[in-house]
Amino acid sequence: MLLTLGSCSPSSEQVQETTFRVNLGTEPPSLDWSRATDHVSFNVVVNLMVGLTEFDRDLKPTPMVAKFWEVLDGGKKLLFHLRDDVRWSDGKPVRAQDFVYSWQRLLNPETASEYAYILFDIVNAEEYNQGKIKDPALVGLRAVNDRTLEVRLKYPAPYFLAITTFEVTFPQRQDMVEKFGERWTEPANIVTNGPFLLESWKHENEIQLRANPDFYLGKPAIDRVQMVMVNEKTTALAMYERDQLDFIDNKSIPIFEKRRIARRPGYRVVPQLRGYYYGFATNRKPFDDVRVRKAFALAIDERVFPKVLHGGEQPIKSWIPPGMLAYNKEIGLSFNPSAARRLLAEAGYPNGQGFPTVTLGYNTDESHKMVAEAIQGMWKNNLGVLVRLDNQEWKVYLSRLLRDPPHVFRLGWGADYPDPNNFMNLFTSNSGNNNTRWKSKRYDELVEQAARELDPEKRIELYDEAQRILCETDVPIVPLFVTTEATVLNPRYTGLELNSMARLMLRHVRLKEPST
Amino acid sequence: MGRFILRRLSHGLAVLLAVATLTFVLMHITPGGPFDREQRLPPQVMANLYAKYHLDQPLWKQYLLYLKGLMRGDLGPSYKYLHRTVTDIIASTLPVSGLLGILALGFAIVVSLPMGLLAAYYHNSWADRWCLFLATLGISLPNFILGGMLIWFFSLQLGWFQAGRWGSPASMVLPTITLGAAPAAYLSYLLRSTLIETLGEDYIRTARAKGLKETVVLFKHAMRNSINPILTVMGPLLAALVTGSFVVEYIFAIPGMGRFFITAVTDRDYPMIMGVTLVYSALLVGANLAVDMLYSVTDPRVKTQ
Amino acid sequence: MVAKKRFEELWQRLRQNQVALWSLAFIVLVVLSSSLVSLLSPYSPGGLDEAHILERPSLSHWMGTDGLGRDLLTRILYGARVSLTVGVGTTLLALVIGTAYGLLSGYARPRVDNFLMRIVDIFYSLPDLLVFILLSLVLGRNVIGLLVSLAIVTWVRFARITRGEVLHIKESVYVEGARAIGASHARIILRHILPNIMGPILVTLTFMIPGVILAESTLSFIGLGINDPYGNWGTSWGTLAQDGWRAMRTYPHVIFFPAMAIFLTILSFNFLGNTLRDASDPKDRMK
Repeated sequence: MLLTLGSCSPSSEQVQETTFRVNLGTEPPSLDWSRATDHVSFNVVVNLMVGLTEFDRDLKPTPMVAKFWEVLDGGKKLLFHLRDDVRWSDGKPVRAQDFVYSWQRLLNPETASEYAYILFDIVNAEEYNQGKIKDPALVGLRAVNDRTLEVRLKYPAPYFLAITTFEVTFPQRQDMVEKFGERWTEPANIVTNGPFLLESWKHENEIQLRANPDFYLGKPAIDRVQMVMVNEKTTALAMYERDQLDFIDNKSIPIFEKRRIARRPGYRVVPQLRGYYYGFATNRKPFDDVRVRKAFALAIDERVFPKVLHGGEQPIKSWIPPGMLAYNKEIGLSFNPSAARRLLAEAGYPNGQGFPTVTLGYNTDESHKMVAEAIQGMWKNNLGVLVRLDNQEWKVYLSRLLRDPPHVFRLGWGADYPDPNNFMNLFTSNSGNNNTRWKSKRYDELVEQAARELDPEKRIELYDEAQRILCETDVPIVPLFVTTEATVLNPRYTGLELNSMARLMLRHVRLKEPST
Repeated sequence: MGRFILRRLSHGLAVLLAVATLTFVLMHITPGGPFDREQRLPPQVMANLYAKYHLDQPLWKQYLLYLKGLMRGDLGPSYKYLHRTVTDIIASTLPVSGLLGILALGFAIVVSLPMGLLAAYYHNSWADRWCLFLATLGISLPNFILGGMLIWFFSLQLGWFQAGRWGSPASMVLPTITLGAAPAAYLSYLLRSTLIETLGEDYIRTARAKGLKETVVLFKHAMRNSINPILTVMGPLLAALVTGSFVVEYIFAIPGMGRFFITAVTDRDYPMIMGVTLVYSALLVGANLAVDMLYSVTDPRVKTQ
Repeated sequence: MVAKKRFEELWQRLRQNQVALWSLAFIVLVVLSSSLVSLLSPYSPGGLDEAHILERPSLSHWMGTDGLGRDLLTRILYGARVSLTVGVGTTLLALVIGTAYGLLSGYARPRVDNFLMRIVDIFYSLPDLLVFILLSLVLGRNVIGLLVSLAIVTWVRFARITRGEVLHIKESVYVEGARAIGASHARIILRHILPNIMGPILVTLTFMIPGVILAESTLSFIGLGINDPYGNWGTSWGTLAQDGWRAMRTYPHVIFFPAMAIFLTILSFNFLGNTLRDASDPKDRMK
């Protein structure tokens, strides 16, 4: 017994509304973009709201609410000039003050936003968040007038513009947030400025969006969006195959079905700005010896991963992912088992003899398990070393990484915004996320210089050198692959391109033929 | 009777308090916190979060705060679902699990009654042996396997019932069977052995000798006296079913409460963990209380002290 | 002397019951083959075999291969070690703890008994799954940790039954007599009470084992189980079933065989339990 969920049927005589149906996977923890942290929430928000900029296909920030901007004062001052035709869903115009309020709220220690740090380049932002400054007006953020937003940075930050594409920087209405408090994101209360309106939110069940007829770029081609929340992949895939969903991605495709699904029309693999790597605990024997690290890196054949994970994952030897500035596919160590064996012997463990027991840790998950088991096999076959696998629940794993990481550990890293800075500064000496305990002065210097350098060509040079240190000389990590999203779009539709930040933007989706 | 109720009630409350304390302690011993992320939060952001939820206070203070809230009926905010309280979440998910649980129990009763009766009445015949065999099969089959088989066969291959979600009657069929199969088997078992015992008692023989019709003997006497052990398990069984089975809700994409028994722990959503545990325990204690009271009414041998 | 006679009775019963015999044979087969799998199978339970990913059952792979090309039959046999060890081990541990507790509680003065049973009530009121997860996070995800966590959640069953039986027996003639001649408490418990309550305890035991195996496979299915492909313990059946679930649509064999292994093993134990229950005092009530 199929349930038809309001999809367009060309044979009907009345004009039916087009409803585009997707699966969010789970209930979004929050639609308050100052406090949300996960991509499910952002996937909804990105359809409800627009901000200063958004990125284009080449991941460059393009104007949205901000018509154009000026970079002044050697890069330390940014002036955003806003359009005058963007309105909130209750008719009021979007003003610079709405951005100021939103960013101040993000930084306010009482809001306790997890992404507050994204704005720490702004003058006094960090101090305000720490509570050292009480008055938010002291933060380098000002509405010069209704149409002009002034941002003052501590130092020139070439990536700041990319940050303005990020949902947490979208504007907010102070009057509404203060009036409704914790419940301001409920459909009856929320006020938005984007292509769709939040029509209903049945918790743990589904969200319904309605096209915004007053959206400044024009009403979207589809009338409604139905976002269900089906956690089980097999079930979700079955729903798609029985025409109950119009679009599915990794959340709805079980790994082993990917090979079969790949043959369907509308299938596309979208590489993500998300790297998957194995890190070494460089302060522990035997991985304090760079030859051992290199040997282990050389003994991994990255080409195996797409075969094992079935998702068209892109193997990678360097750290900055494809699509991002300074991506360089020449950098890194390629699979070379004989060189690996030689290095291991040099380090004192010919054929793996005498090698101490080491642990490979990962957090419990089907894909991580398969990758770990595959690599365990490769190291056994190519080096003669059998590492012990140890998997733990996610949070236990995280707390273990902080205190006492295993010899080899698995982690992923996703871009918050499409700039190499937030990939490369991961491994600086004082990064709170550098679990390898590896420190390199030269690397730190290069990354910091590149963060302040406004000329993209010079930045690429600096990042190239830094990547060489990271992936060829010192090898505190082995990048394995770039995650991909396998997606299938109902062939009746077009215009949906999941971008490399896995944001489900539905603004451009439309039926291929006009609906009757 | 009043004193009896009061006594059992206070006993129940003591149990709940102990459960709350035990869970609270266990929860905080577990490594990992609610805001541990792949991208480690900067120290002051973490500090702001902890201050907001009073996690920077000493444990005993947090515990007292929680109890104070409980007395007001406030189960606290969810750490994961930022704009909903634990009460909100339970209020929207418990009815769903509850419905599924009741349906499953109904299914179990409808299946087990005739089976158990048949097996006990024709004790040691082939019918009995077959019923026993089926019942054993029922309790041996893990529900994720049964669910998987049903989905594979009916949904994926035949396309009969909706593959998932919850709402239409069609979507309720497979989950009910999956959840109800094991209880059905178990109840058949129980009914059969209880009835066999009862049917062997003297007063049954007397009733038969007196010439009473078989149906009267069976239903008026035997069944009524076999009810007790069944009731004993029904209470807790219903409580367990109503709070949701994680596996069944997961594989059928049902928005119930069962999911939180796992996800709340994975997320270290402390108030949710406490809330879900307390609801479960309260239902169980309540069910036991109800059964005890029923006992004292139906069975005069039970001392109401 | 009494025990030996009962044992012989039991064996007779068993021999007559076809189903029970087959069940016993199956269990023995599983135990033997899982112990000897390293000698019997040419395949390794771990590693990656690119060329043979997700193959259907064939002559070279009787049960096919999984997502990393590993022979499924080999993995199932290795996995039997975890499932059986956890099943039997947990039950034995729960039995020891629960029986001792129940003996004490049933034999002690009513006030102490009441207090001890309150504690049992508390354990019964805890949600099994949640407590188990918390415990396993604290105790670790190895065989011992799993075993202990499960035992902590299940020992109360033995406690209740034991206590009930002890209360029954306490007023019996033997015990009165023994007390009259001044036997010590320990002697009374061990010589008189314990042997007479073994019946129901044993029955509970044979039903607990499949129950624990079922619980362990369900927990593994959700992802909380043991995963050690190369190791001596192998990968739990439930974890194998979880792998197979993802491939169910297109490669049903990956879930079918582990699921069958779980089902048939639990079934066998339950059939044996039935026979045992029938063999022991039939007037014993089922609890």
